[in-house]
Amino acid sequence: MVGSAKLTSPADYAPVALHCVTNYSFLRGASHPHEFVEQALAYGYQALAITDECSVAGVVRAYVAARERPLQLIVGSKFRVPKLGTVIVLVRNRQGYAQLCQLITQARQRAHKGNYAVTEEDFLQPLSHCSLLWRPAPELSLEQCQQYAKQLKGSFGDYLWLAYSRHFHADDAERYQRYRHLSDSCQLPVAAVCEVYYHHPQRQALHDVLTGIRLRQPVSQVVTELPQNQEHYLRSAEQLQQCYPADWLSQSCVIAQQCHFCLGELKYEYPTELVPAGMTATEHLRNLTYAGARQRFPQGMQTQVKEKLEKELQLIAQLKYEYFFLTIHDLVQFARQRGILYQGRGSAANSVVCYCLHITAVNPEQIDVLFERFISAERDEPPDIDVDFEHERREEVIQYIYQKYGRQRAALAATVIRYRLRSALRDVGKALGYHEHELQHYLQQVDRRDQHRSWQQQLIEQVPGLDLTQRGRCLLQLTQEILGFPRHLSQHVGGFVIAATKLTELVPIEQANMPERTVIQWDKDDLETLHLIKVDVLALGMLTALRKMLQLIAIHYQRCLTLADIPQEDANVYRMLQQADAVGVFQVESRAQMSMLPRLRPQTFYDLVVQIAIVRPGPIQGDMVHPYLRRRAGLEAITYPSDEVRQVLERTLGVPIFQEQVIKLAMVAAGFSGGEADQLRRAMATWKSTGQLQQFEQKLIQGMLQRGYQLEFAQQIYAQICGFGEYGFPESHSASFANLAYASAWVKYYYPAVFYCALLNSLPMGFYSANQLLQDARRHHVPVLPIDIQVSQWDHFLEPGERGLQIRLGLRLIKGLSQGSMAQVLAQRSAIGFASLQQLREVGLSAADLRRLAAADALHALAGNRHQSQWDSLAVQTEQLPLFQGIHEQPVPSQPVPLPTEAQDIAGDYRAMAVSLRRHPLALLRERHGLRGYKLASELAYCRPGQWVQVAGLVTGRQRPSTASGVTFITLEDESGFMNVVVWASTAAVHRSAYLTAQLLKVKGKVEIEAGVIHVVAGILIDGTAQLAELGVSANRSRDFH
Amino acid sequence: MNAWLYLHFPHLLLDYQQALQPPEAAVVPTALIQTRARQQQVVQANLAALQQGIRLGMADVLASTMCPQLQLRPYQEAQEHRVLTQLAQVLYQDIGHLVLTPPHGLICEVRSMVQLHRGFHGVVQRLHQRLQQWPLRYLLSSGYSPLAAQLLGWAGCPVVSEHATEVKQALWRLPIECSGLPAEQIAKLRDVGLVTVGALLQRPRAELGERFGGALLHYLAALTGELIPPQSPYHPPDRFDEKIELVAEAQSWPQVMFPLKRLLQQVEGFLESHQWSTRGLLIRAHHRDGSTTQIKVRLARPTWQQGELLQLSQLHLARQQLAQPVLALSVRVLQPEPRQAVATSLIAQPATKTDELTGLIGRLQARLGEHKVQQLHTAMDWRPEYQGQLQPWQATAGQPQVTQRMPRLRRPYWLLAQAQPILRQQWQLQWGPERIVSGWWQADTIQRDYYIAVDRQYRQGWIYHCSDGWFLHGWFS
Repeated sequence: MVGSAKLTSPADYAPVALHCVTNYSFLRGASHPHEFVEQALAYGYQALAITDECSVAGVVRAYVAARERPLQLIVGSKFRVPKLGTVIVLVRNRQGYAQLCQLITQARQRAHKGNYAVTEEDFLQPLSHCSLLWRPAPELSLEQCQQYAKQLKGSFGDYLWLAYSRHFHADDAERYQRYRHLSDSCQLPVAAVCEVYYHHPQRQALHDVLTGIRLRQPVSQVVTELPQNQEHYLRSAEQLQQCYPADWLSQSCVIAQQCHFCLGELKYEYPTELVPAGMTATEHLRNLTYAGARQRFPQGMQTQVKEKLEKELQLIAQLKYEYFFLTIHDLVQFARQRGILYQGRGSAANSVVCYCLHITAVNPEQIDVLFERFISAERDEPPDIDVDFEHERREEVIQYIYQKYGRQRAALAATVIRYRLRSALRDVGKALGYHEHELQHYLQQVDRRDQHRSWQQQLIEQVPGLDLTQRGRCLLQLTQEILGFPRHLSQHVGGFVIAATKLTELVPIEQANMPERTVIQWDKDDLETLHLIKVDVLALGMLTALRKMLQLIAIHYQRCLTLADIPQEDANVYRMLQQADAVGVFQVESRAQMSMLPRLRPQTFYDLVVQIAIVRPGPIQGDMVHPYLRRRAGLEAITYPSDEVRQVLERTLGVPIFQEQVIKLAMVAAGFSGGEADQLRRAMATWKSTGQLQQFEQKLIQGMLQRGYQLEFAQQIYAQICGFGEYGFPESHSASFANLAYASAWVKYYYPAVFYCALLNSLPMGFYSANQLLQDARRHHVPVLPIDIQVSQWDHFLEPGERGLQIRLGLRLIKGLSQGSMAQVLAQRSAIGFASLQQLREVGLSAADLRRLAAADALHALAGNRHQSQWDSLAVQTEQLPLFQGIHEQPVPSQPVPLPTEAQDIAGDYRAMAVSLRRHPLALLRERHGLRGYKLASELAYCRPGQWVQVAGLVTGRQRPSTASGVTFITLEDESGFMNVVVWASTAAVHRSAYLTAQLLKVKGKVEIEAGVIHVVAGILIDGTAQLAELGVSANRSRDFH
Repeated sequence: MNAWLYLHFPHLLLDYQQALQPPEAAVVPTALIQTRARQQQVVQANLAALQQGIRLGMADVLASTMCPQLQLRPYQEAQEHRVLTQLAQVLYQDIGHLVLTPPHGLICEVRSMVQLHRGFHGVVQRLHQRLQQWPLRYLLSSGYSPLAAQLLGWAGCPVVSEHATEVKQALWRLPIECSGLPAEQIAKLRDVGLVTVGALLQRPRAELGERFGGALLHYLAALTGELIPPQSPYHPPDRFDEKIELVAEAQSWPQVMFPLKRLLQQVEGFLESHQWSTRGLLIRAHHRDGSTTQIKVRLARPTWQQGELLQLSQLHLARQQLAQPVLALSVRVLQPEPRQAVATSLIAQPATKTDELTGLIGRLQARLGEHKVQQLHTAMDWRPEYQGQLQPWQATAGQPQVTQRMPRLRRPYWLLAQAQPILRQQWQLQWGPERIVSGWWQADTIQRDYYIAVDRQYRQGWIYHCSDGWFLHGWFS
């Protein structure tokens, strides 16, 4: 072999790489696609093939990196075929691409998620527009090779090569001889094809670690599985010339030159069946829109709105987005027919067209969000509409999509799950032989909210000596390297891709984890890059609740409403919200939102839009909240640095609140071009995975300084951009959410019984538990009746009472009870109810369910108190002789069991249902003088600010928001309501045990009252859980650290 | 009369581990954790940890958040069982009828011991005295049935009395959660308002049987002592070979003195329980690579006392070099003999070993030291230095032979112990290069290009090139 590969060495040799495995071949490749592209460009490659294993998941990323650069990107895929060896399929043209996608789809669908299965048969079928590079399995004999070669030639003809790779292994020379021999005897050309797993030799260690992770063993245990050197990198032209004979190298160039496919050729074709024959899509959309407009505006449109509508329709026609709107219209039509509540949101949703098509209920007369801002002619990006459906019924919509378009044409988009610090440190650590406990311990030393020190610095400080060992240094370095690496594909929450013909000609489809779900191999960013449209079909609990509310209003008040009919701008509703009376109201019910309500005091719909958007990382990190509140309260003058800025910020009093405003500001104030602004928007969306935002910092701040803005303002804007990167929140979403927030608040104000009943019937959803909702209901004087086997249904329902409608609790509250079997039992309940426990058993109630009912005190009418009814149900015979059926013999009378005490009843309620209509445990403690000197939550309002008080309550939540460093908000509940306790880090450290574990917490602290918002700033925390235990009540109902 | 005593060691394994460490280690908050209900939970904790607010049943994450310096170690059931057996061995000196109730309890029958130890309190006192040797936290409770004593011990409200009424009163007050019944039964009983053990005992049995089944009736019978469930009393083994896993690696002999003392205490208990003496001990220090350092302690006269054994052992150990850190320590009693018995033979018994090779190697190793008897061994590694290795005889056993998984490699039979620098021009390359870049994980990365080459005498050698120049690493011929 020595000296055999010397070339005449033409200096202008431009290499090609035909076999690159990126990190999208999960745990096999050790470089990002873009790293390959950059390296190839640096070495003057003419072509680079991305050939992930049975996948094209990484090609779009490479395409983005190589776009408009002098590098030909080849799409391909690698397969390990039993018997045959390894093959690399390269796509020559568009048809070839479709063939490859088809093959990958088949191979993936034969195996479980994450795997694939191929046989040699798969390569004897039409892959006529692809080239095949073959690396025969070492154990194949010459005859077998000849046999396969003949068969493969049958399907690939002249587009078949033997792929020789040389990585300075011991068997290089042997294989060289073998390939020469095979080439002669099988009449096959040989091409030089390096097997590339990383772009740079330095990635060897990471590649080895990935192998360890894949095999779930420490690296030192799998040495034979590791390559013996670091030669699987992208080589320079010179290195390649030293490795391979010139004729084999030139064969590789020939292969590359035969490939002409570019991902940019992929054209999305919309499903055409939505347009009736003889009509264009434009006409059809126009007709539908105007038909809808007549319903939406029975009095006719204002001219201004009409102009807007026309402008929108023009823009849609110009950009050919009719089918997109028609597709969504079709989905919402289906939902309307089925009575499924839904609402659209997203950049294009708050348009007049969407309002007319019934995609959204946000009245364009009420909010002026410029449609063009989101769909613009210059910016070549697909429109974005998400449609939320009732969470209990979204599945119906999904099944409709599959039925209408078929599984070949519709699939979910993927979500790429990437390594983050926790998973990275654990996986890398295990591959380096660390014990699980050690890694757990290290992770606990890292505070990811510490913005001043990197996680490595923190670890080195906290774990002295870690960086003194080779293993420790490897852990720090390799964990950092693996961060952001894709780990596996998951399914997007609801983004469907629907194609005109077979979807598999566009992108391979894989099996998802969930049965009956299929996902494509690209995620939403890939789709956006290639201008493929996805339709987001999402689930929202509040819509379920609202539908149930509207139904109940119709039944009990004979008032038929839709979301759009709810009377707008009702002052009573806003007054209620201003008082932070918002438990259960969509979006504004969280602790943070509730404490903002009395300060922001929303009075109009648009205030609500701002309210919803302002309590988010963006405005908070940009320090925009207080300026806005001050200006709103008239404490600060509303000024604008320039007229352009005024245009952008006028509607939010000169303070940027929404993501769109910030992007627009970058354009008008920092001179970003449309394209740059677009890049900024994308970077915000992917900020967490790549940290691309930093590149804009300098440009933004410089740009703003040049245009005469203050440095401080510029820095604030940048901080806000970073905040949006963490949790983007555009105005268009906020507007849609505000609509639902208003609707739910309206119901809460006018029909409180309906409101709580429907919410309770839609759980789990929202922020509060059934118990918290019920307590709020009772504070609003809504009577609530306990579960009773003679009256209750599965769901809660409303029944008339002396003081209006009252809520009768349903059996759904009882833990462990099955809905199906209860339905059977209830169907046999007569008008006067059941006669005995025995009868309940006879109609099919299981012994276990009978006990559950008894434990929930639901059998009171049949068997007395909960102890007695439990005691009696235990004695009910499991089987009765047919002779005695119907004769309800009472069980042999026994001594009565002890009556339950009030505390036992409360504890029993919580155990069986996590809800109690009896007194609050704190009321009992207070009665027993256990809480002398402690104030009630309701008394805090009468305290003077700064007063020292003692309060006590059950801990219902511990929150440590990322936006408030070092502060924990603890929510306490007593018999009169909620209290917000602020705990500083230093206080938490001193009272660590109570802070972390108390179920009943006693707090001594200072009252703070600001704009009607009351906090107790804790000085001393005392764990009172033992007192609770004396009652026999355990109240572990806290939602901790969200 | 209360015929049963129950000894409860709630932190048995941890206490035992701490006993093996110098006392200053006890100030570090330490806990043992185990996976329960998909969660890592604290199952044992030392005093320092309990003082910091750590509670049993706490999730490990919570525990270490509460007490950042808390040391967590996995709980090992098998190890604790071994400790419990060792305890039984010690207590067997005083109590004839002992029953192990794993994971951490022992039941003692008292009635038959009353005469020997002069009354009920004599027995109790004897137990306390015996346990004083061990820094273990324990609870001792009496009961008219084994289960009654156990319940009081578990609940943490022990009663030490020979009178049944005191036990009965305490037992009746116990909340139903302390009944030791399965959680499901407890929930059912609580739901019908039977919230104490007394309330349960008060109900007519027939009513309870109808509702809760036969298992509960059996339980009640066992509790009242009407029926003693079958027991398998502890019998001391005939040989002594015990091992202690050290909590931290020991670098020198003085560091293993604590555990050694513990082991020898057990030896004394063992010999005592059989009324035996011994003439020899085999002390083995176990190392990370699986090898051991063995020390035979020969005694001029038979003995059973811990103090004497320790003294002699220390002398023996001082003479022996400790080449590697010690992970575990074990002691075997070699020639136990009945006390006062006279050695009958001056000549050793003829060896009956079937495997003569093993015997020979054993003897060689005993004489020369374990590391002196070695065997060729192939390891899985790309680096030639690591591929063929001489390893102590025992260490080879049981390791998989992996050579067939490596591709056919061209390797010389004769690898030089140290690669020798060569002059490149004196060699003619025949084959290569084979590039080996490996070993980054051990901070011993090699980066070499290997060639097969012939020198001027036409000898075929294995040479390599690296950043330091050219080297000869082996000979093919």
